[in-house]
Amino acid sequence: MKNKKREISEENIKKSGKLPQEIGAELKSRGITEADIYVSVRTDMDLNCDFTPGWLILTKGKKLISATADPLSGEIHFFKGMETRKSRTVARDRKWNFAEFDVSDLKNAYVERSVSGGFLILVHKDVNDPEAEGLAETAAAVSNHCMSGATKIERLCEKIIDGKEIDEEALEDDEEEEFCPVCGMMYPDSDRKVCPKCMNKKSIFRRTLGYLKPYKWRILVMFLCYLATAALNIIWPYLNGVVLYDRVLGKDEKFLSFLSVESNRFAVILLLIVLTMVMTKITMQLVGILQGVMTAKIVPRVVKSMRNDVFGAMGKLSINFFTSKQTGSLMTRVMSDSDEVSGFFIDGLPYFLINVFSIIAMAVVMFRLSWPLAIVALMFMPITFLVSWFMLPRLWHRYGRRHRATRSLNSKIHDNLSGARVVKAFGQEGSEVRRFDKSNEKVRSADLAVMNYDNKFSALYSAAENLASLMVYIVGAYLILIQKRFDYPILITFAGYVGQMTGPMDFMSFFFRWFTNCMNSAQRMFEIIDAVPEIQEKENAISLEQIEGTVEMKNVTFGYEKNKPVLKNINLKVEGGHMLGIVGRSGAGKTTIVNLISRLYDPQEGTVTLDGVNLKDLSFKTLRGNVAMVSQETYMFMGTVAENIAYARKDASRAEIIRAAVLASAHDFICRMPDGYDTIIGSSGRDLSGGERQRISIARAILANPKILILDEATAAVDTETEQAIQQSINMLIKGRTTISIAHRLSTLRDADSLIVIDEGKIAEQGTHEELLKQKGVYYKLKELQTKALALKGIE
Amino acid sequence: MGLKNFEGADEEFNLEQMEAETEAMLRLRYLNAENATFARTPGGFVSLDIVGEADAVSPEHYDRVRVVRSFPFTAPDTYISISTTEEKSKEIGIIKDITKDVSKETRKMLEEQMNLRYFTPIITKINDIKEEYGHAYWDVDTNEGPCRFVIYMNSSSVVSLSDVRLMVTDLDGNRFEIPDYTRLSAGELKKLDLFL
Ligand SMILES: Nc1ncnc2c1ncn2[C@@H]1O[C@H](COP(=O)(O)OP(=O)(O)O)[C@@H](O)[C@H]1O
Ligand SMILES: [Mg+2]
Repeated sequence: MKNKKREISEENIKKSGKLPQEIGAELKSRGITEADIYVSVRTDMDLNCDFTPGWLILTKGKKLISATADPLSGEIHFFKGMETRKSRTVARDRKWNFAEFDVSDLKNAYVERSVSGGFLILVHKDVNDPEAEGLAETAAAVSNHCMSGATKIERLCEKIIDGKEIDEEALEDDEEEEFCPVCGMMYPDSDRKVCPKCMNKKSIFRRTLGYLKPYKWRILVMFLCYLATAALNIIWPYLNGVVLYDRVLGKDEKFLSFLSVESNRFAVILLLIVLTMVMTKITMQLVGILQGVMTAKIVPRVVKSMRNDVFGAMGKLSINFFTSKQTGSLMTRVMSDSDEVSGFFIDGLPYFLINVFSIIAMAVVMFRLSWPLAIVALMFMPITFLVSWFMLPRLWHRYGRRHRATRSLNSKIHDNLSGARVVKAFGQEGSEVRRFDKSNEKVRSADLAVMNYDNKFSALYSAAENLASLMVYIVGAYLILIQKRFDYPILITFAGYVGQMTGPMDFMSFFFRWFTNCMNSAQRMFEIIDAVPEIQEKENAISLEQIEGTVEMKNVTFGYEKNKPVLKNINLKVEGGHMLGIVGRSGAGKTTIVNLISRLYDPQEGTVTLDGVNLKDLSFKTLRGNVAMVSQETYMFMGTVAENIAYARKDASRAEIIRAAVLASAHDFICRMPDGYDTIIGSSGRDLSGGERQRISIARAILANPKILILDEATAAVDTETEQAIQQSINMLIKGRTTISIAHRLSTLRDADSLIVIDEGKIAEQGTHEELLKQKGVYYKLKELQTKALALKGIE
Repeated sequence: MGLKNFEGADEEFNLEQMEAETEAMLRLRYLNAENATFARTPGGFVSLDIVGEADAVSPEHYDRVRVVRSFPFTAPDTYISISTTEEKSKEIGIIKDITKDVSKETRKMLEEQMNLRYFTPIITKINDIKEEYGHAYWDVDTNEGPCRFVIYMNSSSVVSLSDVRLMVTDLDGNRFEIPDYTRLSAGELKKLDLFL
């Protein structure tokens, strides 16, 4: 949609229609009609940083008008995630303050950032000298909540000041504020349009059931097992109480004749009943085992398929997803989430149904036996239920705190052990012990809190439980002795039921929490599974069989965060087979350039093309198959050296691997390791030095044999001698391929066909080695520093 | 800085010049009432004149300076860095202790600038914190009026700056501060407990 060039449409102008009437009236009095407005954005502070609604309005007449309402004390201020459409409407009777600025009169306009917001600062031209800066003033203040609007005004003002056209693309509402249609809240993450409050719990539930579908027969068996257990649980007190004591030991004639045995063969019947009881117990055990086996069979499989889905989806996501912090914490939870979800669905849910069934069945049986006693027994049920309903969450809370304290302690240990070298070098063992002690103390007190509360809970709970039994006995005794309603065995049966009822009740109080936890986990999982990658392959993407390797960037502007451009208007071209060298200070944006070329990110403005094809239109196969990067950060996967070198080409022969290693000057040190190419490296294996890792990653790139080779400070960690050797091989390597090389040591770039110097995200200088030296600019200075300065001191 | 104008500097490579520049980069200059004069600008900013520098070619004047704390949490009154306002700003100097080294008026002026830069609502009362689906919904009173905001449920959203001081960061990166959580009521603490 963004690529389509449109005339400035009515629709865009209408967006300013949401201005309050007072502002509209004021604008009119200043001779500005709705059609004159380019954009209007919201602000949320006045210049003293008092929260209050406001607007910034940019007109076609190049005027910037700021309107802020007088702050009202007690007015609630809503931030992202809490804001609703309704909370955005401003009451009628506010007093507004206006200020007008002439943008064409400005030298510069920018947003000065503060710790949680910013100020739009306008710098006027000097009255006498239009080239110089004159008065600077603040036009508006915003919190981060309204930052995107402020930066939009900043961008547009910049365009006006630079005398550029304002086109539709610049006006496009790039951050359309979207509200959840159900609850009206603003989405917490505007890229992912899901309202966490309203995400359909029913659909999550149903989707999760989908994972269980392949096992529906087994689950049915499991369910039957649960059912059998529940039924046997109900029968047991009956057998134990009513049948054994009342009918058999009480020699109930009717009952015996019902079993068609004579009363004189009483022993047989007794034996029969005892046998039945034994069988019942055995069956209960067997059913329990069967159900356990089923669970053990199903759960791991479901967990596995969930994890596979999550991991598969993660692989497709863009780099951004992995670097953003908040998803980082999502990721670590994914693994436990799948456990949680399947555990709930396979263990919790059937158990819940069974418990409901048991409670109802028991209640019915109890009422049938004796309703007054049933009422007494059930009267106490709510008490035990309430005790756990109120106390369990608090208990979990304390468990949670202990868990967090333990985790923090663990990370401290981890931190300390991995930094052991530094600790020792600075002799800080003592202070580390003290730091550890502090965390340890936290764990102890959290632990204590858990135990205290746990004891309290158990005591209270069993008191309530015992009280219930006691009451049943008292009332029962009364009914037996005084009213002679029924006999002693019924009381035994009853006591049994009361005892058995607490289990399901307990479970219920805890079930609801389990349910929400599970839904939380499921939602996090589906969020990842459903996340739409920012970098996507187009549907009918172009695949190129044979590529030249011409890389071009046109007017590229890019920032990792929307409002902070790192690269500004970059234009560069590398012909196929040529070598481009990039130099610049650290943080200038060199790595960012190559990130765009390998399409780890898409530029916000402008295009990156390969052989004239926009990277966005190119198939991943063509792109990834032809571009290889050796980056600053080397990563070794767990595995052997050979596997690491052959990472991109699993089918490489041993000869090829060795050849690549030789070219990367890695062969010698690999052979010096006891296990040679079969040495296990990576996180669990042998530690390599920085230079060794770099050489292995170079070998990896050499073996991949890409048409476009990107070297991002690839030899920064190797010694000068080795670098020379690698340089040799790179010289051989770059023949016939496009090379983009970033380096600090200029000698590394001496064979580059052209060079660019990046400074603060812009191309400062561009040309061949000779041209740049002639310019006597940054490059010249660097070059002199690296040769003469060292020579003067007698080095090199 | 003035060294750039040395004759012939761009003809031949000048090691001395380069070393001087490096030295300038590494220099730490302390500003105080003697060598620095701050003044308010019509636009509401602060300008700076440096006087009495022995090697200064011309008197240093800055139309507008940026006032930044080096230790905003642990030592807000000391080591105030004064720098130029461009994107790639350079430090002009440091005020070691704003309570001692400059006049009362200057201090007031600079503090005004810093109060805008470090604007952070102080949470005075927690009305409600609700946790749901990985987000926590806060309803609080602050010294800047009642605020409702949302944070991610992760450890970086609520950070302790000291044993009792907490900083809360919302979805957009807006900051809120709880100067001493032990002074909250038992009910508020209970709501906050999840984050401690
Ligand atoms: N993933 C990221 N998210 C946000 N900012 C980043 C990220 N990576 C780099 N930056 C910022 O972008 C700027 C340019 O970085 P980079 O291109 O890595 O510089 P260099 O020229 O040293 O390779 C730096 O200011 C850096 O802090
Ligand atoms: Mg880099």
